[in-house]
Amino acid sequence: MKMEEVSMSSLDNSKLEGLAQDILSDLVEDACLGLCFEVHRAVKQGYFFLDDTDQESMRDFEIVDQPGLDVFGQVYNQWKNKECVCPNCSRSIAASRFAPHLEKCLGMGRNSSRIANRRIVTGNNTNNKSESDQEDNDDVNDNDWSYGAEKKAKKRKSDKVCFFNYKKSVVEFPHLYINSVLVYLFVHL
Amino acid sequence: MSKEARMRATINQKLTEMGERERLKELLRAKLTECGWKDQMKAHCKEVIKEKGLEHVTVEDLVVEITPKGRALVPDSVKKELLHRIRAFLAQHATV
Repeated sequence: MKMEEVSMSSLDNSKLEGLAQDILSDLVEDACLGLCFEVHRAVKQGYFFLDDTDQESMRDFEIVDQPGLDVFGQVYNQWKNKECVCPNCSRSIAASRFAPHLEKCLGMGRNSSRIANRRIVTGNNTNNKSESDQEDNDDVNDNDWSYGAEKKAKKRKSDKVCFFNYKKSVVEFPHLYINSVLVYLFVHL
Repeated sequence: MSKEARMRATINQKLTEMGERERLKELLRAKLTECGWKDQMKAHCKEVIKEKGLEHVTVEDLVVEITPKGRALVPDSVKKELLHRIRAFLAQHATV
């Protein structure tokens, strides 16, 4: 069944406005009813009053807004000016510098091993006493990282590399070697 | 059926068919939650329920108490925005 088409000209603007208001009214009523159903279900299922707490306990957990305190009411910079005694060297260190000091003092952590390594290197280069020689021998026998072993291993590697390069260059640039080959033949023939 | 009544029926049908009615509903719900209307109405519901008793409250009770107040409390800005969209729709589709 075809719906008859209606033209705009026969209608007033006020009628259109009235229609718009009616549509709005329907929508609002729909929203209200939706809310009623939602609330009624919550009441009957028993979860409507679940988020209510009494005033007393609400006050216990209120957000704290005072200077010098965090939102829980705790003091957050009370460790700034304290000093700690190092268990290793028995010195009094400031709290914020305590962790790095402990690292160096106990000889643990990343930085302290780097510093020790550096000291060993400078010890090898400048110091020729028997003390450092002994250290060297020990290091050579070590399979883990050690300066001496690294050096030897590196040297062998560089020799091999040179050898390969020579062979490669002969293959790639034969014209450069022809002179020497000709001389060789000339001498021997 | 008068011309006007037919026009209304056509418009309503178009609103539903094109999904515009659903979109308007969602928009209205979102706006009402945003502006705090929903929380206000929920607080009013709590009072009604405390009055009538938790066990005995019915949907009818709530509807009768809530709807008039709900209509009155819708903020003007929300009404304006919705009307704007409805008028735009009518301008497009109330013609042939």
